[in-house]
Amino acid sequence: MLNLIIIGFFASAFAPLIYKRTKKYFGWIAASFPLYMFISFILKYNEIASGKIIKEAISWIPSLGINFSFLLDGLSLTFVLIITLIGTAVFLYAGSYMKNYEHTGRFYLYIGVFMTSMIGLVLSDNMITLFVFWELTSISSYLLIGFNHHKESSRKSALQALLVTGGGGLALMAGLILLAQVSGSFEISALYDIHDKIVSSKLYPAVVILILLGAFTKSAQFPFHFWLPNAMEAPTPVSAYLHSATMVKAGIYLIARFNHAIGGTVIWQDTILIAGTITMFIAALLAFNQTDLKKLLAYSTLSVLGTLTMLLGIGSNLAIKAFFIFLVAHSLYKGTLFLVAGIFDHKTGTRNVSMLGGLKKLLPVTMTAALLASFSMMGIIPLVGFIGKETVYSSILEVENFRFLLLALAVISNAFVVMVTILVGIKPFFGKLLPTLKPPQEAPVKMLIGPILLAVFGLLTGLFPNVFIQKLLDRSTISILAEELGITVKLWHGFNYVLLLSFVTLLLGIGLYYFRKQILQILENLSLSNYLKPSFWYERILNGTLSFASLQTKILQNGYLRYYIIFIIITTLGLTGYTLFKISGIGSLDITTDLTIYELIIGIIIIASTFLVITSVSRLKAIVAIGVVGFCIGIIFILYSAPDLALTTFAIETLTVILFVLVLYRLPKYLQFSNPGSKIRDAIIAASVGIFMTMIVLLVTAGEMQSELKKYFAEASLAEGKGRNIVNVILVDFRAIDTLGEITVLAVAAIGVYALLKLRLKEGDK
Amino acid sequence: MFENTQQFLDMLPIIIIGAGILISTTIEMYSEKSEAVLPWFSVFIFSAAAFYSLVYADKQSIILQNMLSTGGITNIFYFIFNIGAAIVCLLSLDYTKKYGMNYGEYYILIQASVLGMMFMAGAKDLFMIFLGLEIMSVSFYVLAGVNRKKEKAIEGALKYFLLGAFATGFLVYGIALIYGSAQSTSIEVITAGFTSLTGNILFVAGVLLFLIGFSFKIAAFPFHMWVPDVYQGSPTTVSGLFSTAGKAAAFSAIIATLAALFNSSPDNIFSPYLSVLALFSMLFGSIVAIAQSNIKRMLAYSSISHAGYMLIGLAAGSFDGTAGVIFYLTVYTFMNLAAFGIVALIEGENETNLELDSYSGLGNRNPVLAALLSICMFSLAGIPPMAGFFGKYYVFIAAIKSDLIWLAIVGIFSSVISVYFYLRVVVLMYFKDSEFEKVPAKSFSGFLGVTISILLIIALGIFPGSLLDLITSYL
Repeated sequence: MLNLIIIGFFASAFAPLIYKRTKKYFGWIAASFPLYMFISFILKYNEIASGKIIKEAISWIPSLGINFSFLLDGLSLTFVLIITLIGTAVFLYAGSYMKNYEHTGRFYLYIGVFMTSMIGLVLSDNMITLFVFWELTSISSYLLIGFNHHKESSRKSALQALLVTGGGGLALMAGLILLAQVSGSFEISALYDIHDKIVSSKLYPAVVILILLGAFTKSAQFPFHFWLPNAMEAPTPVSAYLHSATMVKAGIYLIARFNHAIGGTVIWQDTILIAGTITMFIAALLAFNQTDLKKLLAYSTLSVLGTLTMLLGIGSNLAIKAFFIFLVAHSLYKGTLFLVAGIFDHKTGTRNVSMLGGLKKLLPVTMTAALLASFSMMGIIPLVGFIGKETVYSSILEVENFRFLLLALAVISNAFVVMVTILVGIKPFFGKLLPTLKPPQEAPVKMLIGPILLAVFGLLTGLFPNVFIQKLLDRSTISILAEELGITVKLWHGFNYVLLLSFVTLLLGIGLYYFRKQILQILENLSLSNYLKPSFWYERILNGTLSFASLQTKILQNGYLRYYIIFIIITTLGLTGYTLFKISGIGSLDITTDLTIYELIIGIIIIASTFLVITSVSRLKAIVAIGVVGFCIGIIFILYSAPDLALTTFAIETLTVILFVLVLYRLPKYLQFSNPGSKIRDAIIAASVGIFMTMIVLLVTAGEMQSELKKYFAEASLAEGKGRNIVNVILVDFRAIDTLGEITVLAVAAIGVYALLKLRLKEGDK
Repeated sequence: MFENTQQFLDMLPIIIIGAGILISTTIEMYSEKSEAVLPWFSVFIFSAAAFYSLVYADKQSIILQNMLSTGGITNIFYFIFNIGAAIVCLLSLDYTKKYGMNYGEYYILIQASVLGMMFMAGAKDLFMIFLGLEIMSVSFYVLAGVNRKKEKAIEGALKYFLLGAFATGFLVYGIALIYGSAQSTSIEVITAGFTSLTGNILFVAGVLLFLIGFSFKIAAFPFHMWVPDVYQGSPTTVSGLFSTAGKAAAFSAIIATLAALFNSSPDNIFSPYLSVLALFSMLFGSIVAIAQSNIKRMLAYSSISHAGYMLIGLAAGSFDGTAGVIFYLTVYTFMNLAAFGIVALIEGENETNLELDSYSGLGNRNPVLAALLSICMFSLAGIPPMAGFFGKYYVFIAAIKSDLIWLAIVGIFSSVISVYFYLRVVVLMYFKDSEFEKVPAKSFSGFLGVTISILLIIALGIFPGSLLDLITSYL
């Protein structure tokens, strides 16, 4: 399986090159690639159907337990077959549809990468590999939605889809890492045996929430549904492939895949059930006032995604069966209808349903495909959509709590879907011929094969369900529920309650279609408040972050060095002060000490000079005062009988004052003084630093320094270093390498200064 | 100095660079063509030191009277610094000509800074760390202002110098307190007594001040103030060096000093400090980067948030965390160098083409560079399967293992934000039409440097395990 995925990526990488040479036939060449994948996987059908699970693993980062491990069972085979079959139709179709676009080669690169990643996603048995493919599908989807990049709305929608699905993907990663933390393994198949351990873990609720966040964003479940309709900016083949048949189902796949491992609990089932039901219902209502073909299809897709999620939430045997049939049915008919919508767009120049009508005679082949798909979507016998809808209803009838609420919501949602189907798939062909931008004509073969293929598949699956899906259904349910259902799929169940429901749905849908204008008027009065729309919050958060970012730049990054330093000082004080305070009782320090008269005088001089520094209006005076402070400190050293230190201090102070004077002498006089407010602020900061430093000094002197070093250096300096000045001996002998190092630093600094000076000379030469 | 030939061989990477500096200075003094010779000479010695370090990484020893360690992790850091510096030299070759500042000293200063970094990474004594840091910093201050004709460069260099000196003050004070409480500057002695020392308030204060000094060097919030101004003002190639090898060196010093902290106690008292710093650096860097319109400033803020992610690894205080940080640093060095390198290639004379808008339509004007930059951006954003993803992944997983789940989740949240501004560049390149017709200047050496970095990113994305296993085996 890994080899197929590698082939997939390579083939995609070469797509632009091949496209350049074979522009005309490229659709056929491109379609052969998913077809090849389809055939390679269908050859494994018998093996899987007989109950075998094919595993393959190549170690990637063995130290962390991350492997390229793949698993082919009923569930993944179903998805792979859907992906490759619809891929074949779409790749061929795009050959004609994308003919007049720029960079068609690049389009195939993106969509090829997408298909391969999608296959990788559903085959992955390792959570990290799964996540990698998951993000790859998000990125390729982003590139494909933004493909018409001349349009502002395209770019915006692409980014929106990426932020929502990519962000959800990262939540998924967090969930998967937590899950691995609980289970001790990254292999999904290894989770099955330790279901109880996972469920009883403390981290379990976090795992569920994070994983479901990933799944819901990807599958556009409420309240993350808003990106999907906007994603319809993408070229139609992309919408048909990614945003109805495959990528948006990845979230649902994820739920199904993990259902056996971490599902079965109240929090898991209920969250899924509620999110799915709300999505199903709201999306159906939102579809109502759309006129754009693709938007209509997008909302109906949303509704179906909600239904699928709801079925997983119900989680009974019958519900899983319904899930599976509905999944297959939807992929087939929705793919067809999207491709038909693309034909309308291409051949008539409009996607507005109110401008289409009477195309029966002009587009006969398209009509055949469209009608087959529409009947399936409406749930009319003998198409596979009929079986899907029947099992959905019968599984809802089995639910214990809120049975009738669910049933009512499902019937109403389906009725809306029926109405959408009539609008999209039936109305354009009948009635009066309406004038269009381009003279309508039948689509070329390349664009017809796909929809016809998918529509006919839908019919055949409906007529012979036991041939086409029975065995895969059995195997898939084992993957989801870990038990075999033993339920057979039949087209006809006789006249019963469920059939009646199907019939009611159909009638209701037709009714909605005929009275849609009147209902629309009622609905318009009930327009939703902005605050209830998730997309409003998305915009809010995005804009909020942007303005917060600029505000922060203004406050914190204002370019003034003094503010930077203030900020650093405050943080340092805060962090260290807090930690120190927490560790020890600083209050218990003993600060009483014997004070001699000399110390007192020097102390007063220091304080007086400090005041002079801060109040002085001339720079020179301030420098002199600083110098006085320094000299006083030197005198203190003398008082404590450290003449060498005192000498060093005197030397350095003198030098500093001279340097200061030399530099500052060139500067202009003070022009403005700080206002009282900032003076108070500076005083507070300075005082805190002073107090903090005093505390540290007190702490240092409070503890007895029982240093071995003092004794060692005192004894060894004459004996080993042949010198009486201990400090000097340490500098040039005991720690000579350090001194050498310091000299190196100075040398480097000298090179730097020399370089700068030299630059100046050269400048002068000019 | 050397007790036997083995010691000489162990120290060879440092000797190569040290001798290189002396030779380069001589060349610069006596040769007229030094500007043409020195770049390639630098690339040569850096590559030689890098590969020697990597090949002989398994020979671990401690030399120079317990001052320096060689082999193991130290050599991996040597590799990062030297390869990074070699790439910077390649990028600089044509870039410096563009600004009329191709002086030999430029390369000598880079060599000197790398020597300082190597002292830091191998240090077994706090003085060595300080020494290395100063050698590196002083070279950096000058490099930041090497383009003296630019006012922004001078302003940046001055800010860098003043704030850097300020931070060094904290550092030295911290070292003094550590010395006072531990009775030694030897890292081994400090490590051995670490657990009992944490009860000593002076030691705790010392370590905190030490960490604050280094927080400045790694550009963590709120010690990041200099970063945007300096990165913007300095020559682009030099900013690349600051943000990669410079940052790696500071991290190497923290790891070397506080090895005890990162290998033992899960409930260490410095973890809150590091966590808070990580938290703010990530969020601040990512959020503010969104508001930038200059690509160098954007990369500056992005480097702040990356410092935050790496701090997560340190805050985790475990082997996994440390290994994650080192892996992250390696990856980050290559992806950031590639990004700065491409910016340097596209930058026109007199600081033109530095706005984000200058990248519009690059996908058409120069598809190769656009593709390379896209890989960089995806990797910086941490999107799999680029190497940047694994860097983040390792530190996040280390945090979760150390019960810092909240920190990992904030990290993920911040990654989501960062996707926005990284991908904006990609969007501009492919989805927007160009208003500029200029095709970027061709520079073979610059292109070579970028390509090497990108190849390393891709390789590390496909085989992250090989590097991680190497790092873990030496910890």
